[in-house]
Formats: sequence, C-alpha cells, structure tokens
Amino acid sequence: MFELFFRQPLSVFQKGTFVFQSGWPVWLLGALVLAGAGLLAWFVWQKTRAAGWSVLRSATLWVLQSTMVAVLLLMLWQPGISVATLKKQQNVVAVLLDDSKSMALADGGAVRRDEMVKTLDSGLLDELKKRFQVRFYKVSDHLERAENHKALNGEKTASRLADGLKQIAAETGSLPIGGVILMTDGADTSGGIDRETVNALKGRQLPVHTVGYGREQYDRDIALVDVQAPLRVLADSRLGVQVILRQRGYAGQRTKLTLKDGDKTLTSKEITFAADGAAQTENVLFNAGPAGIRTVQVQLQALANEENPGNNQMTRLVQVEDRKPRVLYIEGEPRWEFKFIRRALEEDKSVQLITILRTTQNKNYIQGNVQGDKDKKELEAGFPATPEEMFSYEGIFIGTVEASYFTPTQQTLLRAFVDRRGGGVLFLGGRASLADGGYGASELKDILPVIVGDRRTTFFRDKANVELTANGRDNLALRIEEDPARNAERWKKLPFLADFQSAGTVKPGAIVHVDAVTERGRAPLLITQNYGRGRTAVLATGGTWRWQMSQPLEDKSHEMFWQQLTRWLVAGTPGTVLASTTQTVFTDDPKIPLRAEVRGKTYELQPDGQVEARVSGPAGSAQTVILSPDPVHPGVYTGEYSAEQPGSYLVEMVASHNGERTGTDTIAFRREDGVAESFHTEQNRELLERLAAETGGKYWKPDNTNKLPEEIALSEAGISSREIRDLWHLPIIFLVLAALRAGEWLLRRRWGAV
Amino acid sequence: MQKQKILAATLLLTGLLGVAFAQRLRVPYSAFPFREDEDQPVPADAGDKTEFAFARLQYPAWRSNDRNWSMRGMWSIDYPKADRQFVQGVRRLTRLNISSVEQVVNLESDQIMNYPWAYVVEPGHWDLTDGQVKKLREYLLKGGFLMTDDFHGTMEWDIFMLSMQRVFPDRPVVDLPNTDPIFHVLYDLDDRFQIPGIVNYPFDQTYEYDGIDAKWRGIYDDRGRLMVAICHNMDIADAWEWADSPSYPEKYASLAYRIGINYIMYAMSH
Repeated sequence: MFELFFRQPLSVFQKGTFVFQSGWPVWLLGALVLAGAGLLAWFVWQKTRAAGWSVLRSATLWVLQSTMVAVLLLMLWQPGISVATLKKQQNVVAVLLDDSKSMALADGGAVRRDEMVKTLDSGLLDELKKRFQVRFYKVSDHLERAENHKALNGEKTASRLADGLKQIAAETGSLPIGGVILMTDGADTSGGIDRETVNALKGRQLPVHTVGYGREQYDRDIALVDVQAPLRVLADSRLGVQVILRQRGYAGQRTKLTLKDGDKTLTSKEITFAADGAAQTENVLFNAGPAGIRTVQVQLQALANEENPGNNQMTRLVQVEDRKPRVLYIEGEPRWEFKFIRRALEEDKSVQLITILRTTQNKNYIQGNVQGDKDKKELEAGFPATPEEMFSYEGIFIGTVEASYFTPTQQTLLRAFVDRRGGGVLFLGGRASLADGGYGASELKDILPVIVGDRRTTFFRDKANVELTANGRDNLALRIEEDPARNAERWKKLPFLADFQSAGTVKPGAIVHVDAVTERGRAPLLITQNYGRGRTAVLATGGTWRWQMSQPLEDKSHEMFWQQLTRWLVAGTPGTVLASTTQTVFTDDPKIPLRAEVRGKTYELQPDGQVEARVSGPAGSAQTVILSPDPVHPGVYTGEYSAEQPGSYLVEMVASHNGERTGTDTIAFRREDGVAESFHTEQNRELLERLAAETGGKYWKPDNTNKLPEEIALSEAGISSREIRDLWHLPIIFLVLAALRAGEWLLRRRWGAV
Repeated sequence: MQKQKILAATLLLTGLLGVAFAQRLRVPYSAFPFREDEDQPVPADAGDKTEFAFARLQYPAWRSNDRNWSMRGMWSIDYPKADRQFVQGVRRLTRLNISSVEQVVNLESDQIMNYPWAYVVEPGHWDLTDGQVKKLREYLLKGGFLMTDDFHGTMEWDIFMLSMQRVFPDRPVVDLPNTDPIFHVLYDLDDRFQIPGIVNYPFDQTYEYDGIDAKWRGIYDDRGRLMVAICHNMDIADAWEWADSPSYPEKYASLAYRIGINYIMYAMSH
C-alpha cells in the first residue's frame, strides 16, 4: 500500500535524505510561499467580507488555497530522495544456511531445511543473482563455504550462530559484502547472539537480514527449562534439586519426574502440570550418597502425542566431596543442648565435631580431639588463639559463653575466620549468650546477624513453640519432611523448646528462617547471614534437646535438624585452594575456562604462587594445564582447557609456593554434544528480530521475501553509489492537490457560495 | 499393708499429676509428702528455673513377707537431705546451673523426659510394672541417664536385675573399666573404694549383707555410651546426706561428691 502512493519502499525514505534538484535557493521557495499566502489572505479577505462570511469560513478557505500554492511551489523546486544503493553485480551477498539437526525437524509435515531451499528456489535466489554475487555458507557447530543451497545434510548437533556471524565479519574484510541473509530457526545452542558479535557486524556495517523457519510455538510439548543443583555437597547430605519446566497442551495432566544416576534411580515423583506456557518449579530431595561424582539425569516422562520429546531430559553434575569438615563447639557450662547436639552429630559420618565444655571455672573437658597422632591433642590450651589453629576448622558453634571469655585476639580471629577463611559460626542462645553475654559491646557484634542490645535479661527458661517463616519454608536445610507444606506443619507440631532468647534486631540482609512463638509474643529464633566469604547464624535457644526427649524414639527430627544446619554452616567453607569453572555441563563447546583462588596457611591471598590443573578425561586421558596469575585479581589464577571428547572430566588444581605444595581442590565437569540441539526447537523469532534490528537488517517470513533483494540493495556496506529518486510525480502529491481543490469546492457548495 | 496402700495412692496421685503437667517443662517445686528427713527447710531459691534438677526416681517396691526388709528399701530413702546437700556441692564445684531442690519423677508419665539425668536409690527393692519398664527403656535409649545407688549383696542385686533385665533383655551389665570417661570427665577417679552407709557406723565394716566389694557397673548403648551407671554395694546417698556430720568420714563424702559430679558431667556430655 505504501509503495502505491509513494512509488518507493518505506526503507528508501528511512535511509535516504531529502534534496531539491532545481538548483534554486531554498530561501526563495520560502519567500514565495509566504508571499503567495499573503496575497491570498488579502484577496480572500476582500472577497469574503463583501459577501458577509464569518472569519472562520474565510480562514478555512485561505488555508486550503495557501496549502495548494505551497505544494505547487514545492514541486517546482523538484524534490527528490538521495539514497545509497549497491552497485549491480559488484557486491557479494552472504547467505548463511543453518545446517544443524534442528533444521531437519518437520513442522506440520514440512521439513525446515526443505522450506529453506524452497524459499530460495521460488524466485528469491534469481532476484539476488540479478543484483549481487551470491555466496553460500553453512552454519552449524562451525562455518564453512557451500557450493550451493542444496549441499545441506543437517547432521551437526550444534548451532553456533554467533560464532558463524563473527567469522563472516572477520573473514570477509576484503570482500564487498553488501549484506548477510541468515536463514535459520534461531535455535542457537551457544547461549544466543552476544554483544561482541553484534558489535563486529555493526563495525563492518553489515546488515543481517534474518529469515525465520519453524513453528514459533508447539501445541503439545513438555520441556525442561533449567535444572539447578548444588555444585558440591558433603557425603550423605540431603541434596535439593530445583527443576524448572514448561509445557503446552497438557495442563492439569500428570507425569513422572525421575532423577537417575546411570541406571540407579535417585528419586522420582508424580507432578501435575500447571497452566500452558507457565514456568513451573519442582523441588526434589534425595540423599547424595557416598563421595564421588553424581551424574544426575533429570527426566520427564513423555506424554502421548508430544511433538518434541527430545527436550525432556537434562544432566547435571554434582560433586559429593570426600572430606569431613571439622566443627569446633565451645560450651560455657554443662547443659543438655550440648549433650544432644553431640549425639545428633555423632550419627553424621561426614562431620567431625570437636567440643570444649567448661565444666568448672578453670577446667575444660575436650571431646573428639584425637587426631592422627594420639599423643598430640589439640585444644589442650583451650579455645584457639592462633590463625593456624582456628582456621583448621570449617565451622564453630559458640554456646552460652560470655563474650569476655574470648581475648581480643580471639575475637579478631573469629571475625577473620568468617570473613577471610570463609568459615561458618553459629551462636546459640543461653544465659551467657548474645545480649546477656555482653556481645553487644564486643568485636563479635560485627559478625552477628542481629543487633544485640545492652539489656541482660533476654534469656527465658520458658516454653517456646517454633514456626518456619516464608524463608524457612524454602530452606532445604530445614526440611524434616520433603513436602514443603507438610514440613511447615511438622515444624509447628515439634515439642516446645526448653528455653529461648530474645535475639535482638535482625540486621539488614540477614534472613529469619524460624520464629519462636512464646507467651511473650513472636521472636526471631534462627537468623542467618553471609559475612565476607563465610556465614554466621544465631539460634536463640539452648532447648532443642526436647525434640529428642519428647518425641517417639524412632523420630529423627532433632538429628536431622542439627545435621542439616551444621552441613549448611560448613559445606561452603573452602580450603586454601578454591577451584571453579563456569558450569558443570558444557554443551557443544570444548573450551573450558579454569579458575583457582589461592590462599596461604592463614588464608591471605597468595598472588606469587604456581597453580597447575591436572585434568583426567574420558577413557583415561590426562593433561596438565598451567594456570596464569590474573593481573587484575591478586591470588586468582586462570586458564583454559580444551575438552574435545564428550564425557565426564575431573580437574585437580594443585597450588604451590616456593616449590612447596600449599593446597589442592578438585572440580568436575561434563562435556555433552548434540543435547542442546533438542532444546528450544521452536523458532526463536525474538532473537532473529533483535539481531536484524541491531544490525540494520529486517526479519522476514519465508513466504514474504520478494522485497528482500531490493532491501539489501539499499545499503552502504559494499560498493555503492548514490542516486536521486524524483518525488514530484508521486501519486500522493496528485492526491493531495486534488483533495485540496475538491475540499474547497465542497465547502463552497455547503456554504452556498457556488 | 497400710503403708503400702499409702504408697500406692501416692504413686497414683503423682502419676496423675505427671499427666496434668506433661505439657509443662518443670513442675513448680513442692515438697513431696513422703520424706525421710522431715525437717529440711525449703531453700529460698527453690522456685528458680534452672538447666538441671536432681531427679529422684519414684518406683513401686518389691513385696515381701519380711516387713522390716520391705521398709528398709524404698525410693525415698535419704530424701530430701541427701539430694539437697549434694546439689550444694555441685553448685560450688562446677558451672552447672542446678536447682537447689530435687525433683521427684516417676515412670508413669512423660514428665521424666524433661529430666535426662535421674537417680534411683535402693533399686534392690524396686519392682517395675511393664509400662514402667517400657518407659524406662525409651527414656534411656533417647538419651536419658540413670544412676543407681544404695543396694547391697546378692539378693538385692537379683531383685534389681529382675526389673532391669526386662528393660534391656539383650544388653549385658558390665564392670566399668577405669579408663571409662565417666571416671575422668571432671575428676580422675582411678582409686575408688567402697562408700559405707550410716548403718555401718563406726565404719569398722563398710559393706552390708554379702556385698563385700564395691561394684562399679553399667549398661552401654550401641555407641558405647553409658545409659545406666550402677553403683552396687555402696551408699553414696548416705555420704551426701551425712557429709555435714563430724561422725561421717570426710574421705567417703569427698569421693561420693566426686562420683556424683562425674556422673552428672558424663550424662551431660555423652
């Protein structure tokens, strides 16, 4: 329709610039328009006043006539549009054909790849060849030249569109590329088109025109969107996996969600689908089992007539660590909580508890302190007073101990234990804890997740019931029952605590997980916060032991609570070497970034060490990668490993300093090929539209590409010339003039002046 | 027979009280009406809420035709003076927040679950019902601790075992080695000796009946923790009770306090 009135595509007007071809000065045009309008005003005024017209009618007549004079004068100046166009046959158009497996999918019987060929064969290719030299490229996991548009096989299991486009921009630097046509379903498996790629294309002024294939939305499909699992857990821990899924066509129906490790089923549950298209989150808990690498395969059972069952499975790697974190518990006086915490943690093989109990004013009773050398017992001098001694623990419980019991050095070390070493500290309630223990005036107040006051009467030996807060209901460490709703009810039914303490004001950023419900009202009971590299918590009671004594013998809620809370406290405590990579499963990408943060014995960053990564891959392959110090982040070492073979890899990072080994850490990752291609198989139109818009191109539907060659021609990317297209003879001008005259005539008739 | 009726009625009453107070952590102190030492004043701080209370276990006694023998042993022997005098020592010598008065507990209600340490005197005269046996087993396996004292000789041992074997048919009673932590948790008690009762005055002989040698025995749980500490052929409670008497030798009282404190410290740390 636009071209019917303007004889040019809209893009000509968008890209071109307006010019006058008469050579006469523009100011003269303006002056004549003003003079004509003035003369007309005088004439109209004279004539219409004599006829007794109103001012409104006179003004309307003047506007119509003045406009017509202005348009006619404008045409005398010969207006035109100056636009850059590619010179015929002197420019190259790069046609990128998606040759990945997803293009072999059939949508309603039509295979995407065949549709792509059909688009080119039904006139588009001929039109392109009339104007440009056409070069074909196949893009999948790599980019390569193709003889023609029919040399496609669709066997590649990855689509790296961004890499292909970047390569085009780089390799065709010496070629007069007029534009790029990307024919694809947009199912990129490398994470989308990044900013770097867009900038590379814009730098070359290469417009990318995208032609989208494939259905934009399935009618019946179940898809895993994401699976979130912890990278590392302690052996025998309760492991929580969050599964995010989406479906269409099965709302209200049920299917089975199964988690497997090889042939072994870890857990499974029946789920009911939410509304079509809505993201649905399912939490699954299972025991991590013994130390080792768990390859957790998350599977959704396919339902009848599902259009793409290939996106029902995802894999995540979880490293079940072969370590036994050491927790130090100091208790200021004999109390039942101490005994029952000890008993609960004695049943946890993955945690070593060492305790100091102040039995008398000057005597400590130490338990669990025998290490390899039985003659050398730790803690004989009391609570640790050196960083080497204190930092040998991953977590510390502080019972009912006055703040002043700790020397200033010990208080500073406790703070560094959390902040620098990354340890976890749990403060328990008691008659010498928190405010009653003088913590508000000590250095330790900084690491508390609460602001404690000066009042010394905050501890009460009265009963207190417990209730999970909203945050507590989401906290896997507080799951006694697997189902969140049943768990919340279970907490309410736990026996009342023997005592409780008013913890103080919760600090900004701290999280309350459990409330105490007492006759004095509701108060925060379990509060946690992250502090530096570590974490701290307050459990404002010394009376959870009643959960053990006042429930049936077979009930394990007390043990589970303490084991899970302790694991939460210490599971994230790193060693002197903290190895990492960006993800646990690398799909269709062999480049594995490696990173290690290295610290010395006292956990100061160690920037002048050496780090090597020993990589063990599938089929017994082994390789060593030397990591380089990061110039920006002292103590951080980075490197890259190329994992060509699919399978599981184990990386041991070994740090040394002056030839002496200072620490190690191990991580695992998995390489997969061809899996991501089964996900996001619907046409990613949003990605294609964005790419086209950002590079100056357009998004096209396959059956509407007849204007594409002309659109490409309007470009300055290759060898181009400027041409001026006349505007005086546009149908729209004639219509405007006719409308002005007709309008005047009609008005005159209406007013009885004809 | 009249006294047995009184005892039965008392047990019933305390059982009902136990049920009534099952939802309360600590029963407010009130003197038990059945006491050996009637003239003990109630301390001013008897109502204070504390971490620990000396829990004295009440039990039904073995029925015997020998009335003298039957009256010789019952749960309230030395009550309450021994308890209160021992508690004073615990307060002075340790950091334990302990009540100045004892707490009588029984095996009829769940109230005993609020007192994970319990003391039983003269268990050579106890005769637990099936329900009490079940409750005691549950109490001990959950983490409760029972200290027995003041029973002597073969006959009382046999009567003690008639009930205890029903509590733990599959767990042996063993002699505690000197290396057991219970003898070292606070005081090192390698050198222990028989602690005589006041009936042995003037202590030329320290044993009763045929219980010539003091026996330090116990029953362990599956993880090697003591659940029942059995002091046989000795009378620790008399040593606590008569510790303030010039006539009672200090060495016995001193050991009795150390034993009692160690047993409490052990129960609160294992």
